[in-house]
Amino acid sequence: MGKISLTGGDMKGPGRTWTEVRGLRDPPRKYFHESTFDAHYDGRFASTPLPSSQRQPHLRALVKTYLSTMHALGAETWIMHGSLLGWWWNRRIMPWDSDIDVQVSEASLAFLAQYYNMTVHTFRDLEVPVLDDGSGKEEEQEEQEGRKKVDGEAKSYLLEINPHWTNGDVRDTHNVIDARWIDTATGLFIDITALRVNHSSPAPLSLYCKDTHRYLSTQIFPLRTSVFEHVPVRIPYAYQALLAAEYGEDALVNTEFQRHRFDQASMEWRPVGKLGGSEQEKLEEEKWRARGRKPGRRPLAVVDVDKEEVEAGEGEVGGGSGAFEQFGS
Amino acid sequence: MPYRDAHSHRPLIDLIPDHSLDASDEEDAFYAHDEGDYLLHPKWRAMINRTTNRIPRRIQRYFVIYLLFAVVLLVSWRIYLGPQYAVYRKELAQMDSEPKEAFGKNVRPEFKGMTQVEQLSQKLLPTGNGRLVVVGDVHGCKEELEQLLKKVDFREGKDHLILTGDIIAKGPDSPGVVSLAHRLHASCVRGNHEDKLLLSLAETASHPNPAIPGPNESPSRTPDFLDEESFSHGDYEVRKLAKSFSHDQISWLQKCPVILRVGKLGDLGEVVVVHAGLVPDISLENQDPFHVMNMRTIDLKTRLPSENRDGTPWEKFWNHQQKKKPAHERTTVIYGHDRKRGKNIQKYSMGLDSGCVSGGHLTAMVIDADGKHKFVEVKCKGYVD
Repeated sequence: MGKISLTGGDMKGPGRTWTEVRGLRDPPRKYFHESTFDAHYDGRFASTPLPSSQRQPHLRALVKTYLSTMHALGAETWIMHGSLLGWWWNRRIMPWDSDIDVQVSEASLAFLAQYYNMTVHTFRDLEVPVLDDGSGKEEEQEEQEGRKKVDGEAKSYLLEINPHWTNGDVRDTHNVIDARWIDTATGLFIDITALRVNHSSPAPLSLYCKDTHRYLSTQIFPLRTSVFEHVPVRIPYAYQALLAAEYGEDALVNTEFQRHRFDQASMEWRPVGKLGGSEQEKLEEEKWRARGRKPGRRPLAVVDVDKEEVEAGEGEVGGGSGAFEQFGS
Repeated sequence: MPYRDAHSHRPLIDLIPDHSLDASDEEDAFYAHDEGDYLLHPKWRAMINRTTNRIPRRIQRYFVIYLLFAVVLLVSWRIYLGPQYAVYRKELAQMDSEPKEAFGKNVRPEFKGMTQVEQLSQKLLPTGNGRLVVVGDVHGCKEELEQLLKKVDFREGKDHLILTGDIIAKGPDSPGVVSLAHRLHASCVRGNHEDKLLLSLAETASHPNPAIPGPNESPSRTPDFLDEESFSHGDYEVRKLAKSFSHDQISWLQKCPVILRVGKLGDLGEVVVVHAGLVPDISLENQDPFHVMNMRTIDLKTRLPSENRDGTPWEKFWNHQQKKKPAHERTTVIYGHDRKRGKNIQKYSMGLDSGCVSGGHLTAMVIDADGKHKFVEVKCKGYVD
């Protein structure tokens, strides 16, 4: 974005351009920049968001490549938040989840920063559909045929470390994301946050992230090994207690969320009927909307919230719903 | 003596006029009860007299006592028993209800290096005078385990030993207990302490990076198979414990399943051994392994188990649900884990953790071929608070 040289105006204040005021330009202290069209994309690698039907397959590819790379490098990483909830239900990304939440240990982040910053990792034969016009048919087709393979076409992912990672202060609100795993074809990314030891706390077990989440080391460690989206993944030790604390016990029990119902036969989240005018459906809609306010449970379609988030500018740092939910809670 | 002086030795009686001392016991008024006269009509009084005269005095006294007792009962019902009964009724209703949205709809979490269910070999079930000896949380108290086996007269080859998990940690000789159990060809289930230890070890093994010295380690330490990185999350206890085991002992612990299905044992019916507990109405294969190793209570509204003590004790719900089933479908769970509640024997759940490591008892349930069982205990020294 070029600077729009409009001067004067009360809202703007000195030294700020209109783009900054509108949240389109980040404050200078902020390292990672999200695209102007959607906070879930990196503007350097994309100019438009993916059609919603293609987002899920690309998210899956993103998490698979990330997990296998971290495993190969020996960096300790595990899934959290919405991704952990998805794992809990059926070891998959929830269909309405718009991002992936992962954490790394402080030592692993140091290791990645020292040896692997700005490295590009290329994968072939990924099970990702080719970009098309994004009609709804594509997803059904893809579901039926299994994932389409992009034979021979390589996909590259960039591992970028935020140089502010050495600053563990939670007041550094512009840099709560310590690193990113970015799909260089689509601009989609995974936010990586380091779990840090709280040295000022007398208890040696207190841990925190720069996004102000706090944990006890006994809740996270020792990690367990399970499977997520058909690849090995590490899971925090007391997974259910973490989920219940973050989303409430209902999130582990209710089989209806975000216009999806958890089907007991296929053990998958299936979308339920499109909204019509009937009273019943309106009621359901309200129920979902109420639930949608819970962290990590916003429907994909609510673009307005994303805009607000961007416009809020100041507190917002990367990660879209990830960061949003953290500040909201 | 000022009084006497004032009245010059005259007795007080002399001051009273003579006529008021006259009270003849021959007059009716002498026997009249003054106080009741004006409150009740004589007709009514006569009626009361007629009835009360028929009731012996002793019974009349008892009546007062009974009345007092009733009042106490009423008050205590109102402030204590009533609410308790209401809670009990509510709990019963909740246990009998079938919530539309309840725990257990998700895909059961599955983890690497963990056996969910194992069937105890048919050969090991008690026959003839053979017995099953199930022992609660040993926690490294090898001496006490040996004493207990002596006390029940454990015969190798004839009897079979089953340990309910948490056989390691806290106590003085965890490796010794594992070796003893291994030598006796005992069966065991995975407790939360075994789980933590084995996970920590697996984490270490999967870590290719060289270790950086941890805060509590001398920089001159020699490298061992435990990488500091994975243990520097604050749990030095686990690290110390892990170092005390040999590879053989670790691989023996690794084989312990989360759930041991023992099979039918006469009067006891189907018997299952776990460390902490089970959620009723979910198959053994679909039980969440974390909860099987950690649960204490169940939230009756959501049926979500928890390691906290806020909800309904899981065994209460378990027993309630078993009693509703036809007799041949009922399952008895033998478990440990809950040291605070101690030995807890109910119809379909047998809690054997009687807090040996903290100075309580080590409890064995001895089961014969007919499912008849008894409990044998030894006193423990106490190694932790």
